[in-house]
Amino acid sequence: MTITLRIILVICSILSFVLCIKKVKQAKLKTADSIIWVIGTVLLILMSIFSVAVEWISEKLGFMAPVNFVFLVMISFLLIEGFISNMKISILDEKVKNLNHYIALKEYREEKNEEKKGK
Amino acid sequence: MKVLIIVPAYNEALNIEKTINDLNNNAKEYDYVIINDCSKDNTKEVCEKNGFNMISLPINYGLTSGIQIGMKYALENGYDIAIQFDGDGQHQAKYLKQLVKEIEENNYDIAIGSRFVTQKKPKSIRMLGSNMIQLAMKLVTGKKITDPTSGMRAFNKKAMQEFVGNPSLTPEPDTIVYMMKKKMKVKEIQVEMSEREFGESYLNAFKSIEYMLSVMFSILFIRAFTKKGGK
Repeated sequence: MTITLRIILVICSILSFVLCIKKVKQAKLKTADSIIWVIGTVLLILMSIFSVAVEWISEKLGFMAPVNFVFLVMISFLLIEGFISNMKISILDEKVKNLNHYIALKEYREEKNEEKKGK
Repeated sequence: MKVLIIVPAYNEALNIEKTINDLNNNAKEYDYVIINDCSKDNTKEVCEKNGFNMISLPINYGLTSGIQIGMKYALENGYDIAIQFDGDGQHQAKYLKQLVKEIEENNYDIAIGSRFVTQKKPKSIRMLGSNMIQLAMKLVTGKKITDPTSGMRAFNKKAMQEFVGNPSLTPEPDTIVYMMKKKMKVKEIQVEMSEREFGESYLNAFKSIEYMLSVMFSILFIRAFTKKGGK
């Protein structure tokens, strides 16, 4: 890996780390959800520090350049994270739907009760 | 047996009165409930003015949610049969008795109002889609359903419980496949359906393709591998 790439990786990971911490403090991101991003940034830093290891692995796996291996790791990370997020949205969607039903049925029952009282 | 007719309605202010009048005239021994899926027009006001029995959802959540809440209501209030009935005036209430009869007397779990049991299917792009779904269902279950996309379906208690208990089930053909895999008996009844008079169907060209893809995918790759259960 070139020294430029390593510097860029370190800067990017530090920036995203800071952003992540900031958002947690602003309560825009839950601590539990922030962990995955912290792991991501740590991964980037580790890869830039131990670039020799990255070069060794990428050569053994038959990559044209070590940077390709770095990209592959980051893309996999993003794909997994995207999939997990999608799953969470589906679960939330189901919860909101049930809440929607609960409110509607409750309102319906209350209305019927009032009608009965009125009569 | 207590029968509940579930009428999902989204922006059906122009059709709902006619639909409910039809129900009151031709199926008055059955109860009905309108599920107002947070309509943007004055569906709610029209129903309130006429004193129709209506559950109003606070958030628009689509047809699946509408049918599900209808079935929840049916189960809560001890109904034995729930019938899905479109609020847009396409379905005719006079056929409901036959659907109920199949479940009550002939012990079927699900009865579907089909346009093509005795009638021939016309040739159109829409029916090509219908044929493709029919073929997929035949492949997966070995049984022939002539009008898989029909929205007029009657469910008994067992089918209702299955429907409410499994959030991945939608009121679409793939659910019929699921139910058949669960050893439920499905019967089709010849009915007539009219063209909708007002408003537009929720299926436009783009949505139709999306619909076909999701239904075919679900039948062939998800429902085909349903664990067999039931009797």
